[in-house]
Amino acid sequence: MKNKYAFILTITVICSLLLSLVSEVLKERQSKNIAIDRKKNILSAVGVDISKFSILDIDQYFIDNIDTLIITTEGSVVNNISIESLFEKENSQTGEIKYFDQKEEEFLPIYTEKASKAIILPVSGKGLWGSLYGYFALDADNFSTVKGITFYKHKETPGLGAEISEKWFQSNFIGKEIYGNDVLTSINVTKAGLADKSALHEVDGISGATITSNGVTDLLKRDLKRYEPYFIKNKK
Amino acid sequence: MKNKKTFIDPLVDNNPITRQVLGICSALAVTVKVEQALVMTFALTFVLVMSNVSVSLLRKYIPSSIRIIVQLTIISTLVTLIDQFLKAYMYDISKPMSVFIALIITNCIVMGRADAYAMQNNVKDSFLDGFGNALGYGIILVLVAFFRELLGFGTIFDIKILPDFLNNGLMLLAPGAFIILGLIIWAQRSITNFVEE
Repeated sequence: MKNKYAFILTITVICSLLLSLVSEVLKERQSKNIAIDRKKNILSAVGVDISKFSILDIDQYFIDNIDTLIITTEGSVVNNISIESLFEKENSQTGEIKYFDQKEEEFLPIYTEKASKAIILPVSGKGLWGSLYGYFALDADNFSTVKGITFYKHKETPGLGAEISEKWFQSNFIGKEIYGNDVLTSINVTKAGLADKSALHEVDGISGATITSNGVTDLLKRDLKRYEPYFIKNKK
Repeated sequence: MKNKKTFIDPLVDNNPITRQVLGICSALAVTVKVEQALVMTFALTFVLVMSNVSVSLLRKYIPSSIRIIVQLTIISTLVTLIDQFLKAYMYDISKPMSVFIALIITNCIVMGRADAYAMQNNVKDSFLDGFGNALGYGIILVLVAFFRELLGFGTIFDIKILPDFLNNGLMLLAPGAFIILGLIIWAQRSITNFVEE
């Protein structure tokens, strides 16, 4: 072909058509994968053993046991909004995720689990290399006893900060309390090996990953604070 | 005979990683686990073979003044395609790797073969050359990943082999990959007596 402009135009058009076609065909499957992945993480935050679950089992368990609540920043439950209609906005400085509806009004999502009577909150914040995203599960009666924590996405160093997604680190949180004398004290991730095992508000951090550990402390403190109005309203 | 050489040569004697020292970035990034290395090899094989074939098909029509742009367009299209497929069909594996799959676009092996080989040779030879180079890359990737996973996690394909206390955190970081890669290159060069000019 003589004309290079015509040539590059043809190539570009063919390539873009191909890409749009493939992306359109695969879109449904991909968003399904992302949704399943979220569900898996929500379930593992409350300690459901999902290692033998098929995708169908996860969907079914979700339908049977998990309800999604949307609350206002003042802590009242809103019934006419679904989580699908909210969009997420991440603060790139702090890693904090906020949920807004079309009118830019802020809402907060809560998942409730019937079998173990837990509520599950999405949490996120800055680690060392990027944001940490996870779920934090609390007892649904006193909103204080920790049922579990998971991190499903992070960019921390393998073997160091990435240990936050390991069982030994996460299981330290189970049974701790975020309330002390009716004050929201959250949970403090200390330096490795310094946490008092019997203390209710602290867990051991990861050696060599102080910034990641501090990130977990900060994100819990901040995100739990956002849900405090709901805790106060619904506490038994 | 020539076909065989086109295919066999890049496996060992002219290996893109150990001999030409190309594609090092991904050899460091995705070699923490053998499984990831295999997926990366699969993705790179697809991209390299398809880009070599397409460039070779078009080689008589590509105006030489814009050949790099054309090659880059083809390569990035292929990389985006494989990334989309992995996200749809192998989500759990692709999740931690997605960024490295996207970076195949900048892998010097792909552009190097397209410009240095596929632009001058017919489709069949370009196919073999792409396949050989991708496998040569894959062999080293899997080899490095084997040692890193074994010494770093004590596992192979997530199956426990060595006890936990032998785990070496250094192997999971980039320096671990450098050390193993260096040892492999050293071993190969002392066997073949190859000296850099």
